[in-house]
Amino acid sequence: MTLSKAEIFPRMSEAIIAGDREAARALAEEAAGAGFDLLEVVDKGYLPGLRKVGELWEQGEYFLPELITSAEAMKAAMAVLGPALNRGPAGSRRAGRIVIGTVEGDIHDIGKNLVASMLQAGGFEVFDLGADVKLERFVEKAEEVGAGTICLSALLTTTMAAQKRFIGLLRDRGLRGKYKVLVGGAPASRRWAEEIGADGYAENAVAAVNLAKSLAGGS
Amino acid sequence: MNPAPSLLDLARTRTVLFDGAMGTELMARGLTPGAPPELWNVDRPEAVREVHAAYFEAGADVVSTNSFGATPLKLGAQGLEARAFELNLAAARLARQAAPPGRFVAGSLGPTGRFLPPQGQATEDELAAAYAEQARALAAGGVDIFLIETQYDLREALAAVRGIRSVSTLPVFAAMTFGAFRRGYFTLMGDEAGRSAAALADAGADVIGANCTLASEQMAGCVRALRAGTARPVIAQANAGQPVVRPDGTVGYPLTVEEYVRFVPEIVAAGAAFVGGCCGTTPAHIRAMARILRGEAGS
Repeated sequence: MTLSKAEIFPRMSEAIIAGDREAARALAEEAAGAGFDLLEVVDKGYLPGLRKVGELWEQGEYFLPELITSAEAMKAAMAVLGPALNRGPAGSRRAGRIVIGTVEGDIHDIGKNLVASMLQAGGFEVFDLGADVKLERFVEKAEEVGAGTICLSALLTTTMAAQKRFIGLLRDRGLRGKYKVLVGGAPASRRWAEEIGADGYAENAVAAVNLAKSLAGGS
Repeated sequence: MNPAPSLLDLARTRTVLFDGAMGTELMARGLTPGAPPELWNVDRPEAVREVHAAYFEAGADVVSTNSFGATPLKLGAQGLEARAFELNLAAARLARQAAPPGRFVAGSLGPTGRFLPPQGQATEDELAAAYAEQARALAAGGVDIFLIETQYDLREALAAVRGIRSVSTLPVFAAMTFGAFRRGYFTLMGDEAGRSAAALADAGADVIGANCTLASEQMAGCVRALRAGTARPVIAQANAGQPVVRPDGTVGYPLTVEEYVRFVPEIVAAGAAFVGGCCGTTPAHIRAMARILRGEAGS
């Protein structure tokens, strides 16, 4: 039995909200098997669920464990949909390439992982360099894959200065105009982003996807 | 071995005053931001002793050892795991040396920085063992009580209580860090204050509490939420507001001493038997709190 889009999309959303990895994956396989437009599947099936998770988190209904399990359910769905999306004609409509990582000296990666999953879910091709990443490495990877956006995470007041140094590094290389640079992490703020000359700051993973999209669209 | 009366006895007669922040005081004395403060227990013992002495002089009944980040797991992230016993032992001895007769030393134990599933791969036994190791060293250095602080995952806080209990019979204070939400007070992991208090009491914590995250004006509500879950005494150590990053990249706290201590009577009225400061507080805050508490006692 094949479900219609009207039946399957709400179930996808529910699987994300419930953090049900197995359901998220199975529904993605079903959609791929049925030959649905997979971009529409992500956009109308899974993303509304992620948006709801973001809202629940902002309202203090969801906490870190719920965010993580929802992000993992999303990842399970994207593991099915991602390769097909890249292969198909939809690949050309993808939102762009993003290099992301936690800056050198900082080993916190939970928030960064969440943002990376959400960006991927949001249609970006994401290159996650992990944590404690040398600033040079962000540039190398972005050049190598032809990324448009670089995201730097820093969770410590002592490592956030690396975000500022990175902007300087891009300037020194004459590459500042080539990339959009987004900063995030507990100590970062919109003011901090403005002060160091970054292109943007997002308060949470959902906001990060919206920001990356608006910046990628505008470039 | 404990001085008589014990800290818990003292709390039955009046509100007990803890100290304020340690890290920022050490930075004011030259500690590089980001460097493990615990190294100064061996490298700059006089500076650590000086901070303890300043808090005692300001009127604190209890100071917390400079060992917040000194579980072997946390130190391991800096390649210092092998020095855990030495650094904790030194932390306890320094506070003991600074303590005048009749005053107390709390052995501080902060989060390991490791996460349990689904966030990470740590196990509760592994966490309990790390706290046990730290507690053993702090006890050997002469602390009067243990102060588990800033816990954001109830499971880790419970593992800490269990680990400490496995090596010592000294009183255990267990404080978690709660944010204020529409539905109440919750940790990052969604552990509600009253429920956490009940679970920590069941696990054998003698005193339950909240520290960090909340500013002093928000703390009374959290104390009430804790007391809804337990009849044990409560400890409350609030921040001097939310941290702000200054243009030069350093971190500051916005509340003045007067703004901070204005809410101390409310926190005590809500039922805190032990009060002190957390991030952004200094000996000046503790001095002002002592004036308020002793004024209260004298009136």
